[in-house]
Amino acid sequence: MNDRDAHFEKSALTCLPDVARFARSLTRSESAADDLVQETFLRAYRGYASFQPGADVRRWLFTICHHAFLRIQEREQRMVLSSDGDDAELETLGAVMGHVAAQRSGLDAYVCSIDVGPAIRDAIEQLAAPYRLAVTLVDVEGMSYDESAQVAAVPVGTIRSRLFRARRLLQEQLFEYARDLGFTGAADTTRTTRESVSITSPRPDQ
Amino acid sequence: MTTMTRAESEPIDCRTAVQRLWDYLDGELDAVRLAEVTAHVERCAACNEHVQFARTFLTALSASRAEVADAPALRSRVVSALQREGFSST
Repeated sequence: MNDRDAHFEKSALTCLPDVARFARSLTRSESAADDLVQETFLRAYRGYASFQPGADVRRWLFTICHHAFLRIQEREQRMVLSSDGDDAELETLGAVMGHVAAQRSGLDAYVCSIDVGPAIRDAIEQLAAPYRLAVTLVDVEGMSYDESAQVAAVPVGTIRSRLFRARRLLQEQLFEYARDLGFTGAADTTRTTRESVSITSPRPDQ
Repeated sequence: MTTMTRAESEPIDCRTAVQRLWDYLDGELDAVRLAEVTAHVERCAACNEHVQFARTFLTALSASRAEVADAPALRSRVVSALQREGFSST
């Protein structure tokens, strides 16, 4: 075994579970994900000479994986154009307003008390590809906005707006999930009034 | 001295604070805006509740990370494909 292969095995192949999970989030299909993982490592191996020692190998593999996925999509002519969130701040505000509405019935506390893992995984899978990519890179894989933008090959502002829209959509799905479980809460009008005012009316702190 | 003190940050309203909510929790705000949001959240119970809920939500997102069911089998498949490219494994 030569040094290059030994180093590739030690650094790149140990990231296989991470790449597999990322590929699964892109393809939403186990068999397609396995094909994508294999293609990713083949490309990585062929191009390993270009890898800068000391660079983040996981991010490098994610970038290769994402590029390979896009090429496959283009080949299959399944590219779907999707509009980005126009305003990240509005998405954040929308999510907070959703929280305000959930506070009225106690739905927010209920959501915090149940296992929402399976519901979140399902909801992420249902997101359109650009949003799924943003939330997977930042929230699931723990990358910064800047790192995620590099992997997705888009500006940082695009990742941010997609991420915020994805989070708002996921939060809405989570509340829907709780309602589907049969949650019926009593209205807490005192709290509702206070929360609504706090968001809709500018109120400088003192 | 390069650190922004609380006294140097400007008071912000609730709307401004919640618009920065996710940037705040993601650690993506600059020092001035971070200080502004931190000061507001410490003093505003309503916004603090939004922060706590959003933090719980993001923690749940992070915890939703599913492990690959059969990573060893997939690794064997990938290594076999690499070996056809000349890769030699230990």
